[in-house]
Amino acid sequence: MLDPVLIVNAIVSGLLLGCLYAIASMGLAVSFGMLDVVNIAHPAMMVLASFVIAGLCSQSGLDPLLTALLVAPAFGFLGVGLYRVYHHFFEQSGDEAMQGLAFFFGLMILIEVSLVLIYGADQRWVETSYGGHTLSLGPVDLPLRMLLPAMMSLACIGALFVWLRRSFTGRAVAAVAQDRDALRFLAINPIRIKAVAFGISVALAAIAAGCLIVVQPVDAHSGHVFIGRILAIVILAGLGSLPGTLVAALLFGVIENLAATLWGPAWSPAVAFGLLLAVLTVRPQGIFGGAHT
Amino acid sequence: MAYDALVVRDLDAGYGAVRVLHGVSLRVPEGQIVALLGTNGNGKSTLMKAILGLVKPTRGTVRARLDGREVDLTGRATEEIVDLGVVLVPEGRRLFRDLTVEENLVLGAWRACARREISGNLRLCFETFPRLGERRRQRVGSMSGGEQQMVAIGRALMSMPRILLVDEPSVGLAPIMVKQTIETIGALKAKLGLTVLMAEQNFTQAIRIADRGSVLVHGSIAFEGETAESLGDNHLVRQFYLGT
Repeated sequence: MLDPVLIVNAIVSGLLLGCLYAIASMGLAVSFGMLDVVNIAHPAMMVLASFVIAGLCSQSGLDPLLTALLVAPAFGFLGVGLYRVYHHFFEQSGDEAMQGLAFFFGLMILIEVSLVLIYGADQRWVETSYGGHTLSLGPVDLPLRMLLPAMMSLACIGALFVWLRRSFTGRAVAAVAQDRDALRFLAINPIRIKAVAFGISVALAAIAAGCLIVVQPVDAHSGHVFIGRILAIVILAGLGSLPGTLVAALLFGVIENLAATLWGPAWSPAVAFGLLLAVLTVRPQGIFGGAHT
Repeated sequence: MAYDALVVRDLDAGYGAVRVLHGVSLRVPEGQIVALLGTNGNGKSTLMKAILGLVKPTRGTVRARLDGREVDLTGRATEEIVDLGVVLVPEGRRLFRDLTVEENLVLGAWRACARREISGNLRLCFETFPRLGERRRQRVGSMSGGEQQMVAIGRALMSMPRILLVDEPSVGLAPIMVKQTIETIGALKAKLGLTVLMAEQNFTQAIRIADRGSVLVHGSIAFEGETAESLGDNHLVRQFYLGT
């Protein structure tokens, strides 16, 4: 019957996969959940960053995770600029609901088409020295190509949480999610805070890109695999709840992997999204979402 | 030398086609509390918002004297006005409900000059409102209305205001809390030498601490009392508030 070792391994590798989902979702949890900016181009940005990281690594021989940390600030500044454009043309005039969505949809297509035109339709990947190695804890296997990105993901998410609670700007980001205009009463420009936060969300996409390219090869359309999942995770968590996003991502990874182990990989999205629907039926605000007013 | 810390002159303001304020003039002498009186819908909040740049006046000026410097506030952005030291305790408090008491308070200290004084000012808040000190790690959304009003006033103090605007501090509070809140504003003014403009419906409570008062009726100043007594004796005030 069911082999317990198989189940434990499925859960552990599900947790590792969940860490990848977590870092990929965290940026969207900031932009969509906290800032109300529905950035559906987020996975496309992640793929773009993967291509950049792959290019830099093949030239310099640097580690992709390290390279991700190096390119993240550049993507952060790109995000700040992008938010300024979005704010100027859509948010400011109150057109963000549909036109803003179309803007990010267009951006997603633009990124994908550009990547195909420049790099072709082939997959890109990075050889790492640890790629083929596996750490074994008793019967549990921890492949380093999953473990190291997972650790990087958790470290960056931890840093984000600390920053949001301890720094002036971080607390202002937490506040902008709750009452944007009340920040003005404290001499804080909410648009500047949102720009910073959006920059951070794009920087997180770059970090996730480094993790992704270690885990698997990436092509121009790899974002499509992620867009449904990370939207589901952010909504499952409850919009704007970052700890909830982490938990929901881990849960999603474990359930996908368990379903794949028990019934075959074709079932895993069906089971995972079925769970999403079930949760939303019982708790429309998500697992960790407060009743938003 | 006594001078006027805040001077509003001939102010017209409103929302879209609706004009709410008609030629309002008002002055707040330095170190005094001016009560802005009037029942609901007469323009008190609109005047507060116009002073703070949240509603753009169509005519008239708002000028402040801050640290010996005359500043024109008209047409400036809200965050810029607050950064100059004109701080509002907004109607409805506008706190960040999912943050703790302390996080809300510290957010008030965004101004450069306030950041240097955070620990001292936190101590001041907790001395003024011991309840907040006991509950500094509590989520603000889970607190009572009176406690939330303490956080709102505390958050404004953290910004180190020169001129404090308080919009309807008594709304939604139990009578005992109304009395306490108003008394605290009076005590803070005496302790910190604040200049205060307070919009308030609760006439009897407001004039207990006010040095002067103005009554706003249908968007115009209907009566200005130089002293608290003159307000109590005025027939307009009696007519509008006391029903006699």
